[in-house]
Amino acid sequence: MVLMTGRAIGNGFGKLMSLGMGSEILYSFVIIVCSLMIYFGTKELYKLTSHKGIKYFRLSFLFFALAYFFRSFIKIILFYFEISELRTILPIFGSVTLFIFMYFSSMAIFYLLYSVMWRKWKSKWIICYLHIISLAIAIITLLFQNPLIYFLMNILFFIFISFTVFISFKQSKKKKHSNLYAIYLMLLIFWIFNILDILIPNFLQAFQLFIYLISLGIFLLIFYKVIRKTG
Amino acid sequence: MAKRNKLEIIRDILRIIQKNHPIKPTPLLRMSNISSSRFKGYYSELLEKEFVKETYGKNKKITLTEKGYRYLEKYSAIINFIDEFEL
Repeated sequence: MVLMTGRAIGNGFGKLMSLGMGSEILYSFVIIVCSLMIYFGTKELYKLTSHKGIKYFRLSFLFFALAYFFRSFIKIILFYFEISELRTILPIFGSVTLFIFMYFSSMAIFYLLYSVMWRKWKSKWIICYLHIISLAIAIITLLFQNPLIYFLMNILFFIFISFTVFISFKQSKKKKHSNLYAIYLMLLIFWIFNILDILIPNFLQAFQLFIYLISLGIFLLIFYKVIRKTG
Repeated sequence: MAKRNKLEIIRDILRIIQKNHPIKPTPLLRMSNISSSRFKGYYSELLEKEFVKETYGKNKKITLTEKGYRYLEKYSAIINFIDEFEL
């Protein structure tokens, strides 16, 4: 019995450390570290200025770090138990983890958007709305276990955010900074791919390496831009 | 002259204190080139954030703290960062 349990743990560990899981862990680790370094690297700028834009920019990357942590956590469990749906084996635990992941994911994107839009979105309830929409997205994910719903929800999410980013870009006085909007748009697209990769298993498996490499590139580029400016 | 934003006004007030260190409140208000009601708001914020401190001798005088100097030192980084990410 003890031998069998030991062998099971050994097999599990072996699986965990295989190339697929290894690259998964490395991918999440690099993005979590990048996001946390952006968050802590901009702490002094925020403390000195109490600037709202800096505040939401920082918080967005804190949410990215948390979302990626839960994403890699889900991935590890799926891999360890060799299942494609987290809730099939661990109903409550799986649902809670998925809920937290979806909530943090949406908040990360919304806060990044708000860091650019805060001067235009003047309502004092806006933060409340963003939390409510993120909670709604997380609840819909839990209630409807349907890939089509997930797909449509993410398409709607994409249309709303990209439309807002486009309007903001049109109104921006600094057209030379247009690459920022391109980076944010890419970040959004690949973030949605990352979400779909979790929600609809095997849907994007053929492009996984491509998605990971581009996502890493985007986070590293933002990180580079931050350290170049903050020193 | 373009309207100064909050960060610029704070920088200007801190620079005036740095150049005329220590300075009395009235000349500081005059040199800041803002209305006295707006000055009061900014000044309380500077005190609250501990960018400046008041010293009491014969008269009340204002000096910069280490945080105030740090703000001036970091000002261009702050502006570049805000500009880069359009915050």
